[in-house]
Amino acid sequence: MASVPSRLERLADVLVGYSTRVRKGDLVCLDTGPAAAPLVHELWERVLAAGGHPHLRLDVEGAPELLLREGTNAQLGWISPLRKAEVERADVRIAIEADVNTRANTGIDPERQARAERAREPLRRVHFARASAGELRAVVTLYPTEAAAQDADMSLTEYEDFVYHAGLLDRDDPAAEWEARGRRYEQLAARLGQRKTIRVFGDGTDLTLGVGGRRWIPCDGRENFPDGEVFTGPVETEVDGVVRFTYPASYAGRRVSGVELEFRGGEVVRASAAEGETFLREMLALDDGARRAGEFSFGLNDAVTEFTGHTLFDEKIGGTVHLALGASYPESGGKVESALHWDLVCDLRSRSEVYADGEVVYRDGSFVDGLL
Amino acid sequence: MTDPRVERLAGLLADYSLELREGQVLRIDSLDAGSPLVLALYGAALRAGALPYTNVGLSGLGETLLQHGTEEQLTYLSPIQWEEIEQLDALVTIWSETNTRALSRVDPTRHAAYIAAQRKLSNRRWERISNGEMSWCGTLFPTNAHAQEAEMSLAEYEAFVYAACHVHEEDPAAHWRAVSGGLQARAAELGSARELRIVGPDTDLRVGVEGRTWLAADGRYNMPDGEVFTSPNETETEGEIRYTFPAVYHGREVVDVRLRFEGGRVVHAEAARGDDYLQSLLDMDAGARILGEVAFGLNYEIDRFTRNILFDEKIGGTMHLALGSGFPQAGGKNTSGLHWDMICDLRDEGEVYADGELVWKAGRFLAEPARAVVESGVHG
Repeated sequence: MASVPSRLERLADVLVGYSTRVRKGDLVCLDTGPAAAPLVHELWERVLAAGGHPHLRLDVEGAPELLLREGTNAQLGWISPLRKAEVERADVRIAIEADVNTRANTGIDPERQARAERAREPLRRVHFARASAGELRAVVTLYPTEAAAQDADMSLTEYEDFVYHAGLLDRDDPAAEWEARGRRYEQLAARLGQRKTIRVFGDGTDLTLGVGGRRWIPCDGRENFPDGEVFTGPVETEVDGVVRFTYPASYAGRRVSGVELEFRGGEVVRASAAEGETFLREMLALDDGARRAGEFSFGLNDAVTEFTGHTLFDEKIGGTVHLALGASYPESGGKVESALHWDLVCDLRSRSEVYADGEVVYRDGSFVDGLL
Repeated sequence: MTDPRVERLAGLLADYSLELREGQVLRIDSLDAGSPLVLALYGAALRAGALPYTNVGLSGLGETLLQHGTEEQLTYLSPIQWEEIEQLDALVTIWSETNTRALSRVDPTRHAAYIAAQRKLSNRRWERISNGEMSWCGTLFPTNAHAQEAEMSLAEYEAFVYAACHVHEEDPAAHWRAVSGGLQARAAELGSARELRIVGPDTDLRVGVEGRTWLAADGRYNMPDGEVFTSPNETETEGEIRYTFPAVYHGREVVDVRLRFEGGRVVHAEAARGDDYLQSLLDMDAGARILGEVAFGLNYEIDRFTRNILFDEKIGGTMHLALGSGFPQAGGKNTSGLHWDMICDLRDEGEVYADGELVWKAGRFLAEPARAVVESGVHG
């Protein structure tokens, strides 16, 4: 008798069989921390069964912190041959977040953190270039840990339920569900692709973004898992107005909340935050691209309904939009280059509207034509 | 709280074994269970100005590959591994098993295929090590699995391991520098011997060592360390030897091995247990019946057999004579797929004669090596 697969087994099935479609001969990098060991074992077996060559890169708890705390500039700016070879050589990369303490880097000097971020920029560029060229299939996911549960104000059991529900892994055939959603996201993306401007009205928000000629990308669980968004890269000089982000946002282990930004001609001209304003300003000053919106996106996953303090999930909440400061994804036509990519989420589920070329297309968290 | 012995071991590896310098690239290999030492060494390397990174595996993944991998997967070497090797200035291997017998039931031919493929990488690594392009040190982080193998509690085993590395006291590097001086002097002195005769229970063996170089193992390639060794002449081993400790090869034990040598080759071999395995290894290839190494174990902090060659071959008062491949740097010429260290306890009744003169009795050299002679020897 065949046993019913566990949610963890289904997650591994989907990541290997659907998200990254591992094939014979693929070099598959698994990038994670020791807390994700149970998922690593499941993935390892499936990659082997698919004929791939699994390769593990496991973080050592405390080592990144030690580097950020004690490293010289030369050490902070250095990229290991392992990292470099992985990014250049892998056919598939499955990155699994599995923090055991999401605040371990809170006490690190932001200047040093920024230096380390900048050093990784070339790696990121190679990663995105290879992904765009179809040479690398890469997915980011999360393995539920106590630390992530704590950020979400949940018990680990509750958080596991949340995570697996968000991935549709409590359904019989999650891959088929994601494929069906993907088709709907594609239709939406095609419609949005015909528009020139998007204007978002909400609580403390009136923001206009030029999107003419840009591509909208449907996200169906192949690069993020779970997934559920349609995004683009706004025209770099055509973002104007104010936006107030509903949820706190974490970046590199630091948290800011109550963020308000004012854009003029595509650039942030005013920024404030109720909490973490210094860090926000430091990140905005990271490089030229950090003051620009590299991404604008609709969150479409109705299985994610609550804020849990983690971007992977928060930006997918059905009925939200998010805007990322910093780098755009080249496949969207966006041209912002930056070491930063910081997603900030705005809840539009009540008293809000989105206009496309002057026409209401979205109200209180849903598209008005019922497409999604 | 961090065990200060772990911190000291890390410092010893970075500063003494590898002599890490600013800008050197160090890779730290370990399993997840070795993480406390990985982290401590990572920190020590940062403080030395080096560029460390970690390569940590999870227990059980290798087993899955060996059980389920196709032949292509078993023998696959990734471009990542090849590219990394060329860029390393230093490498540390931290043995830290969570189950030393996890591979016991793996198909031996599949295991052999995997090892043969990995050897291509390790050959390139050894090439760079012997060319002086990179340094390497192997050490161990105490786990329950290793403790269990040694029939100790974890706390007892930790005390044993850290004493063997001399990190239970302050300034272990000073200790190892002193040990190194003594071992170098001993090696130089043995270098003038033509023949060693080893006498013990059921043992009377003559080993020709003329013209061979004795080397001091002083904590650079292994931690702990403490031996002097050479590769004997390939055709001059004569007589009999009985190995008192079990001989372990790839996790399998052969108990009470007795060998008779004529003209350098094993002509008779028997064991109380594991005799089939012994015979099959002796028949592995032409070099498997010839001694590749003769060595004195001189680490007297290691006072018992723990079923781990890293420690066992250095037990103070033992000798080990390995069947199989010799060391070119010692003048050894024997080649073989085998290098099997077998350990002979000489602590009770053993005697060793160098060119007829008694130099070792009951596990100790009778005289300290004359260091002044060594130095004048270098110049004269």
